[in-house]
Amino acid sequence: MNVPENIKTNIEWNGDSAVTLSFETKTGEGLTRHILSLAEEFKSAFPGMISEAIPAYQSLTICFNALLIETDTIDASLRQVVDNHITRNIRTAASRLIEIPVCYQDAYAPDLESLADYCKLSPAVVIEQHTQKDYLVNMLGFLPGFLYLSGLSEQLHCPRKETPSLKVVAGSVGIGGNQTGVYPVDSPGGWYIIGQTPIAIFNPDAKEPFIAQPLDKIRFVPIAVEKFEQLKSEQT
Amino acid sequence: MSLRFIKAGMQTSIQDAGRIGFMHQGIARSGAMDPLSLQLANWLVSNPLNQAAIEITLVGPTIEFNQNLSIAICGAEFELTLNDEPIFNHETINVKTGDILEFRRLRHGARAYLAISGKFNIKSVFESLSTHLTAGLGGYEGRQLKANDVVELHSTKEISGRSLPEAYRQSFTGSYQLRCCHGLETERFVRESLDAFYHSTYKVSNDSNRMGLRLEGQPLSCNTEKDIVSSGLIQGSIQVPPSGLPIISSVDGQTIGGYPRIANVISSDLNILGQLKPGDKMSWLLVSRDKAWQHLQQKQAFLNKLLLS
Repeated sequence: MNVPENIKTNIEWNGDSAVTLSFETKTGEGLTRHILSLAEEFKSAFPGMISEAIPAYQSLTICFNALLIETDTIDASLRQVVDNHITRNIRTAASRLIEIPVCYQDAYAPDLESLADYCKLSPAVVIEQHTQKDYLVNMLGFLPGFLYLSGLSEQLHCPRKETPSLKVVAGSVGIGGNQTGVYPVDSPGGWYIIGQTPIAIFNPDAKEPFIAQPLDKIRFVPIAVEKFEQLKSEQT
Repeated sequence: MSLRFIKAGMQTSIQDAGRIGFMHQGIARSGAMDPLSLQLANWLVSNPLNQAAIEITLVGPTIEFNQNLSIAICGAEFELTLNDEPIFNHETINVKTGDILEFRRLRHGARAYLAISGKFNIKSVFESLSTHLTAGLGGYEGRQLKANDVVELHSTKEISGRSLPEAYRQSFTGSYQLRCCHGLETERFVRESLDAFYHSTYKVSNDSNRMGLRLEGQPLSCNTEKDIVSSGLIQGSIQVPPSGLPIISSVDGQTIGGYPRIANVISSDLNILGQLKPGDKMSWLLVSRDKAWQHLQQKQAFLNKLLLS
């Protein structure tokens, strides 16, 4: 299993009730697996004391109930958990390939042309580049169910828009910087919108509210307007 | 059994202590911005301290009660009337069917909490009744209340009155010194910026909300040689975006952030963030983590004393 060994780990306090562990190694599947497994390790080492464990590309933030921790020994205990940890193949680590249908047609892709211009590619090539790769889900965050994906083709890297849009509709698929992703709920946003998915990537009422979890792979599959409308009507 | 909103106020929503344990899925804590005032109001009506109540922001609502019950208001101080007669914060008040509670002029603070001796007939979303306004989740249809909304209640009761002991009555002066600890990226800030941060006064900007409080004043700058890699962003983090003007992350804030953090508000002072209003003045005092933990223990002990009284 692709798991990095002996990762140099810095433990730093993030205020008075959280620590952030940062890992000096490159991002990717191995590190994400390590981070998720370490999060579980912390929860069992400090039962009932941890309120949040937030993974990110190269870090893990652990929030404590500061009333419950042994303040004198906490630093040593944290170090011990990190040093003794061996990455396990935890339950959540089963990676799935999840296909997200995306309509890249004009009506759903207001910024496709300008992104193509910026990247000096045709819109068709942008779509091809965007759909031919599988993306790794590194973490969820920012908004409920928003997926942080890695693996965007360098040819599609672009700055964020100078003036963010006030409202980007849920399901919009965008590119900003070296990232691509889907807006899970209506929100303001500064990414170039190149398409839209008809399916809900976040549904609080569903048994599984989130379409994917860290370590899953995402593939964007192009669909026509008719298919978009059909899938959209099946959602409601 | 219900509350009817004749006027909704500026931003009135249902909030409890918030949702805990979902930040790794992008779901912010949400919940009351001043959880202490929420707890005190609940205490006055004999509720569990973290039960959901109505959070009222800057401009208050007018509410008609369609049930006899007991209520209490803590936090920001508004001119309050019940059927045009003045009533006050920090007391249990018994209301009758048809009574009308009016929040008039705001005197001090920013957010009041109206607790009722009963429960809201709404469903829990991610283990909380709180309204996460930016995500449209939880509370009453995932949104702030509007005129003519009727919030259904159940398990209402009338309870014998209480009055909050003087020592527990907070006062909100509009000028605050908040305590903070070092943040993750404190070392990246240049000396002059750290001095400016700790020795100047900031003003709370109009552009502040439950996601974050924006401050106006001395801009700060930090070494940007090394990129900040996005990491977990927790409540009370004081981020400095390229404009140099600090933003304090709050209950509905994003869960991952990429701006450097100059400091973090200490846990025992977080509730004060809920009472800062645009134009308020504030300054910062750096304390050690040990001090921060002591303050938190003391605050909890003080609250426990009330519960045992």
